[in-house]
Amino acid sequence: MKHINHVRITLYFSLLFFVAVAAFATSAYAADKENCLMCHKYRFLGRIDEHGKKRNYNVDENIFNNTVHRNVPCRDCHTQIANLPHDPITEEVNCGNECHIKPPFSTENFSHKKIIQIYNKSVHGIKADDPEDLKAAKPYCKYCHLNPIFTKVEEERVASSTLRRCLNCHEEKGVSQAYKHITHRLRHKTSRSRQEIVKLCSYNCHENTALMARFNVSQESLESVETYKRSIHGKAVALGSEETADCVSCHATSSIHDVYKKDEMMSTVNERNLKRTCEQCHRDVSDEFIKIDVHSGITHDEKPFLHFLEVMLGFVLYGTIFSLLGLAVLETIGRKKDGIKWQIREGTTWRGISKRGF
Amino acid sequence: MSGRPKRLNHPKSVYVVGLVFKIITLTVIIAVLYHLTLSHHGPNLLTPLKTKIEEKQKSEIMEEVQHLEELEVHRHFHNIAPFPEMPENLRPVCFICHSDYPHSKSKKVRAMLNMHTQFFTCEACHLEEDPGLKVVFNWYNPQDENPKGPFFGTDYDSETGNLITVTDKLSKISVFYKKGDKLESTIQMQDAPIAIDYMKIRDKLTPDQRDNVKKKFHVRIKPKGHECKKCHDRNSILDFRKLSFSDNRRVDLEQLNITGMITKYEMFYLPNLFQGE
Repeated sequence: MKHINHVRITLYFSLLFFVAVAAFATSAYAADKENCLMCHKYRFLGRIDEHGKKRNYNVDENIFNNTVHRNVPCRDCHTQIANLPHDPITEEVNCGNECHIKPPFSTENFSHKKIIQIYNKSVHGIKADDPEDLKAAKPYCKYCHLNPIFTKVEEERVASSTLRRCLNCHEEKGVSQAYKHITHRLRHKTSRSRQEIVKLCSYNCHENTALMARFNVSQESLESVETYKRSIHGKAVALGSEETADCVSCHATSSIHDVYKKDEMMSTVNERNLKRTCEQCHRDVSDEFIKIDVHSGITHDEKPFLHFLEVMLGFVLYGTIFSLLGLAVLETIGRKKDGIKWQIREGTTWRGISKRGF
Repeated sequence: MSGRPKRLNHPKSVYVVGLVFKIITLTVIIAVLYHLTLSHHGPNLLTPLKTKIEEKQKSEIMEEVQHLEELEVHRHFHNIAPFPEMPENLRPVCFICHSDYPHSKSKKVRAMLNMHTQFFTCEACHLEEDPGLKVVFNWYNPQDENPKGPFFGTDYDSETGNLITVTDKLSKISVFYKKGDKLESTIQMQDAPIAIDYMKIRDKLTPDQRDNVKKKFHVRIKPKGHECKKCHDRNSILDFRKLSFSDNRRVDLEQLNITGMITKYEMFYLPNLFQGE
């Protein structure tokens, strides 16, 4: 009986071993098992289409193999492709597809469905009653999520001591990448730089006031990019700060896609949530603190006192500089009239005798 | 008073301090002027003038082209990696009218044909055969008289299985006339006298005249390139070994993947492939 149990246990562990090996083999198998890159790895695989648009179908294999999608087979996203070589593709990729990758400690296939649900509820999600031009203008997944941001992160600060512990059981390559994947997200809200976020939100969208005006947004929203750039946050980010608030810092939680209109309760910039939002960066946030207008226009009608101060500061700045310049010019004219020559040599800029004799 | 200044023979450090002070003063003045005139943080005094000048130079076509390129970057999703480009004047004359994506007629294969522009000069496929002239294929780079490689696409990386990363990404396979021991290029460059002359008077020519001149550039060019099998075959007209392709790469190009693809294309998609592009 004991012997039978022993055999059973041996068989059980053998089976487990083979399942584990099979699972590993599946995950480690090149995602491009259908050899799509045979053609798509070439730089000029592309054409100019009938509408004059350049279509490039190149996928750089060295870059792709370092992205988080490297283990996703091409046809998990490009589901319309049924045979190879394939017909021209007319449908866009649906990022909500399930792919044949199982996340660690999960039995279900990986999918972006959850985040897409959050996005759909947000102000950027396409609603059924949206006019067609608004639907077309709203950012889709690929608009913001260009693959470069999925490039393997370089987490220099990976704690080797922690990793060593993991390596007692796990394979180094897999676990160190998973560790970087998680720790990077703990340290940074997004993988993009502050400057990239501001550019992404403004360029072609929020900065385009003609486009935004078509969708009846508030005056405050219409001027949001301009007022942000004038703010202390905008100026610091423009100067290269990696600590100052960008658009996502204030307008979304850590799920990033949950951007709502200011008057909606879910919005991070709603009056009720402002304190918590500011506290992400600022200490001792008081009720007075959250009243500070981040997107301040400082117009004469809206904020006369601030407008007055801004004008006065302008006068002080330009007044000081131009007064000094004016004095220098008057002094130069005076000296020349006085008969002194301007000469940059021998240790002085002026030489000669004044008409007044000194 | 002799009229000569008394403050002579200053130490050099004084001149240095003076220079630094002048640079700071000048920088502050420039910054204040910029703030006053053009910066969006200031009163924008000259912005209306700048807008007026920009309006005059505005081109809707240019704007649309740039917008479409921007959209393509977003549509494509996968990284479009930066790729070095040959300076305009060192490109063959073909590029006066054609781009890196010259094939457009045959819908099923145009992208595949365009892919070859990374490896070949136009003449390599489209040069009219002349029975009296012997031709050889060799690597060509107008910036390097004798390119040594390693060339892009000639070998696999043994670790990753990807194509090897190389520094020379601009050399292409081209066709040369063999005259004795010498190789004579078949390519007309954009800095050739005829090309420079054409560029100078292009806008002054009528459409008919322009067409006539363009014909001059196509004298030795045939509209239909080589058939796929001329290269992707064991009896390829390209000597892959001589062109520094590794054995693995040569076998793939001659026999395996590409031939399979071509067969499929011929069967399913390309009944008219070899009847002209």
